[in-house]
Amino acid sequence: MSQQQSTLPKTGCVAVTRRTMDNRSVRRRRTGAVRHLLLAAAFLACSSQLLVVDANSWWSLALTPIQRPEMYIIGAQPLCSQLSGLSQGQRKLCQLYQDHMIYIGDGAKTGIKECQYQFRHRRWNCSTVDNTSVFGRVMQIGSRETAFTYAISAAGVVNAISRACREGELSTCGCSRAARPRDLPRDWLWGGCGDNVHYGYRFAREFVDAREREKNYPRGSSEHSRTLMNLQNNEAGRQAAYNLANVACKCHGVSGSCSLKTCWLQLADFRRVGEFLKEKYDSAAAMRIGRKGKLELVDKRFNNPTPEDLAYIDPSPDYCLRNETTGSLGTQGRLCNKTSEGMDGCELMCCGRGYDQFKTYKHERCHCKFHWCCYVKCKRCTTLVDQFVCK
Amino acid sequence: MAGAIIENMSTKKLVIMGVTLLLFQAFAFMVGGLIAPSPTTAVHYLAAKCVDTSKHRQETKWFMPWGQDQCEKIRSFEEAMAKKIEANNIVFAVHIPLHYNEMSPWFQFMLVILQFDIAFKMYNQIEDGALVTVDVGLAYRDDPTSEWTEMAHSFEQRKLNCNFTTAKTFENEGRYYECDLLPFMEVGSVSHKYYLLNIRLPVNERKKINVGIGEIKDIRLVSIHQNGGFTKVWFAMKTFLTPSILIIMIWYWRRITLLSRPPVLLEKVILALGISMTFINIPVEWFSIGFNWTWMLLFGDIRQGIFYSMLLSFWIIFCGEHLMDQTERNRFSVYWRQVGPIVFGSFCLFIFDMCERGVQLTNPFYSVWASDVGTELAMAFIIVAGICACLYFLFLCFMVFQVFRNISGKRTSLPAMSKARRLHYEGLIFRFKFLMLVTLFCAAMTVIFFIVSQVHDGHWHWGDHEVQVNSAFFTGVYGMWNLYVFAIMFLYAPSHKRYGDEQSSGQCITGDHGANSGEDIQLTTTITHVDAPTEIYKMMGKTAQE
Repeated sequence: MSQQQSTLPKTGCVAVTRRTMDNRSVRRRRTGAVRHLLLAAAFLACSSQLLVVDANSWWSLALTPIQRPEMYIIGAQPLCSQLSGLSQGQRKLCQLYQDHMIYIGDGAKTGIKECQYQFRHRRWNCSTVDNTSVFGRVMQIGSRETAFTYAISAAGVVNAISRACREGELSTCGCSRAARPRDLPRDWLWGGCGDNVHYGYRFAREFVDAREREKNYPRGSSEHSRTLMNLQNNEAGRQAAYNLANVACKCHGVSGSCSLKTCWLQLADFRRVGEFLKEKYDSAAAMRIGRKGKLELVDKRFNNPTPEDLAYIDPSPDYCLRNETTGSLGTQGRLCNKTSEGMDGCELMCCGRGYDQFKTYKHERCHCKFHWCCYVKCKRCTTLVDQFVCK
Repeated sequence: MAGAIIENMSTKKLVIMGVTLLLFQAFAFMVGGLIAPSPTTAVHYLAAKCVDTSKHRQETKWFMPWGQDQCEKIRSFEEAMAKKIEANNIVFAVHIPLHYNEMSPWFQFMLVILQFDIAFKMYNQIEDGALVTVDVGLAYRDDPTSEWTEMAHSFEQRKLNCNFTTAKTFENEGRYYECDLLPFMEVGSVSHKYYLLNIRLPVNERKKINVGIGEIKDIRLVSIHQNGGFTKVWFAMKTFLTPSILIIMIWYWRRITLLSRPPVLLEKVILALGISMTFINIPVEWFSIGFNWTWMLLFGDIRQGIFYSMLLSFWIIFCGEHLMDQTERNRFSVYWRQVGPIVFGSFCLFIFDMCERGVQLTNPFYSVWASDVGTELAMAFIIVAGICACLYFLFLCFMVFQVFRNISGKRTSLPAMSKARRLHYEGLIFRFKFLMLVTLFCAAMTVIFFIVSQVHDGHWHWGDHEVQVNSAFFTGVYGMWNLYVFAIMFLYAPSHKRYGDEQSSGQCITGDHGANSGEDIQLTTTITHVDAPTEIYKMMGKTAQE
């Protein structure tokens, strides 16, 4: 929804009106509100361009295949204007760093894939819907799941940009801390360039947070609290990717002694980042907007979240049933595990609705003989398995 | 007079000198911490997977990962599998440095580390003791448009040492193994602007080459080079220190030669220490900017080795000459037992260094650690060197202990001695204790800074300034040992103050001996009582060796 807002302001306006009504937090707080209040809000939203852009849709870079940037002649705008889902600031960054966009897309893709892996046994399984909002309307609720999604995709961008750096694909990589391209060779000669992981972190901060930073909501409003929540979670994701990077060192002094030692950061396996963030998801902090326009804990007994922690402002919706308003897809048709007592067990997964059982043939490649590249000789094994599907 | 300058110096002057040296010391630290950048930089590279489409393999073909004439690339091996590209046709290409940068002779050296990203697959696990064979070529060019020139080409084997931290189940397929860093390449001079590495992993099932090495997803390289800024600061420091040490050395030796007796062992050792310090100081590295001298790294190691062994020998001999047990030493051969381990240990390290860096002069990809025999040999050399170091320190500690025992022995009998003897011993004790203190201070500082720089990799913030701890460590410690050698040569040079305030001791002897006192004075006051000690001992009512 609302992806084409810059070209079609009318649809954007309609979309926002609808969204304001859908917005649970608003609805909750103004339960008996008169209708004209809503209308006023919609009007306000229409007049401000910034608001209309869907907050999540840079993720859509993961879905749209981005052509290789070298296809575009220098200074060519089409790439950036063709990409849907970028905010004003992000579009500007896109123009400045065209070669980065494909990797941001990669990063978003990695994030989504990891999210789906981590939540494969949950009622909400991070499934994507086929439009530029990527995850559908569930992301408009400031829930734990939303928090996780923001964090993991930000982490994905850090990962992807750092990787692209190492591939030598980015022209500004490493040395960019001096935003003066003319001095760049001098910096490089004098003190080398910063670490790629550091660069990845910084660029991800610029790009991912650009959308939140350019919004200008009144302090203390629900939109403002959502902005703060997004910023917190983006940062948590980036920090996870950055902090989990481990330090590798090499001694190369006299006769290989450790008098001279060089260390560098090495990105962790992204699965580890996913696991780490999943733990953070389980211990995420419930927040609400305070009087000073800052997020504060709902339950003051807990510790305040650190920048590494996830935070959410809304309770999670019920993911059991399909719900057009919340965007929940429901668990109907999901596979479940009959014997498990956990979330992937049929009891919990199907929300007590019961399940269907049927037998299928599962084809697997087995007894493979593999060489490091390019040859795999496998046999095909077929097994008969029982499968359970939620009603 | 009483020998060395240090004994004749007034406390005030000594303090002034100490403060000056400390100021220089602080300056040396600051130069490194505030002006110089960190000593080295590590740059990551991820090898691009190029496809060699040519039917017949040409040796001259080089594959560029990016830029104008970049190769045909694949993004993953799934793609290769789909396109039916054989392993032997995949070339991993890495261009050093990254985009828009160029290497420079100021980087001094470049070493490259190899890392494999190997994904875990249930049916394709890494076998125990798996060996990777790489076919690697290194080329350079100085102009971004010219042709590549081959620098080295080699077949290398590296041992994969990987472990998988989580359970080996289907669930965890696709996770990466954690593999040890593999030493890959070392070049002793960076005289070209662009370098290109082309790596192939040829597969030969019959010969069991590159079989059972798991599913390699990517090849990563980390190149380490010295920073240009650090090199400049380092050169500047060396250029400044060389004349300082050289001048004090000449001055010191002139003083020695002015004496009417031949120089004693300790004086010679101090001179040797000065020479080795100058040897390390002379900034021959300046030539590496203009010339392609790959042996500079090895040469630097040798110079450092010589200085270290000289310093260690100096401590032993200094202790020995202050033992105060009236044994005739003053000959180098007396110390063979203590100096032996130093020489032997340094020799072992030298052999080890020659095996590694020496061979790297011809084949930059060589590593002793790559083969089992090499690893054992290298370990043997290092262990022997380690044993030598332990032996040396045992000897040194024992000698220091002996000196202190003798000192406390002498202390009790000091008041009963004749004035000349008392002053002689007091001089010895003072000189020894002073050096002991300074040496301990320097050693402690070195150790502390070493630990700090090892624990703190990186920099500290001090106000707005970024303090480079590692650079401060290098310049500071280097400056410190220079100042140490400087101070020793200055303070332990023979004093000219014969007729000054320290006349007393001389007069005491002259009183006894009359006319030929001049020489005797010096005999008493030389750091060791050498040429005719018997005479003095007779005078003192003691027969030394009879």
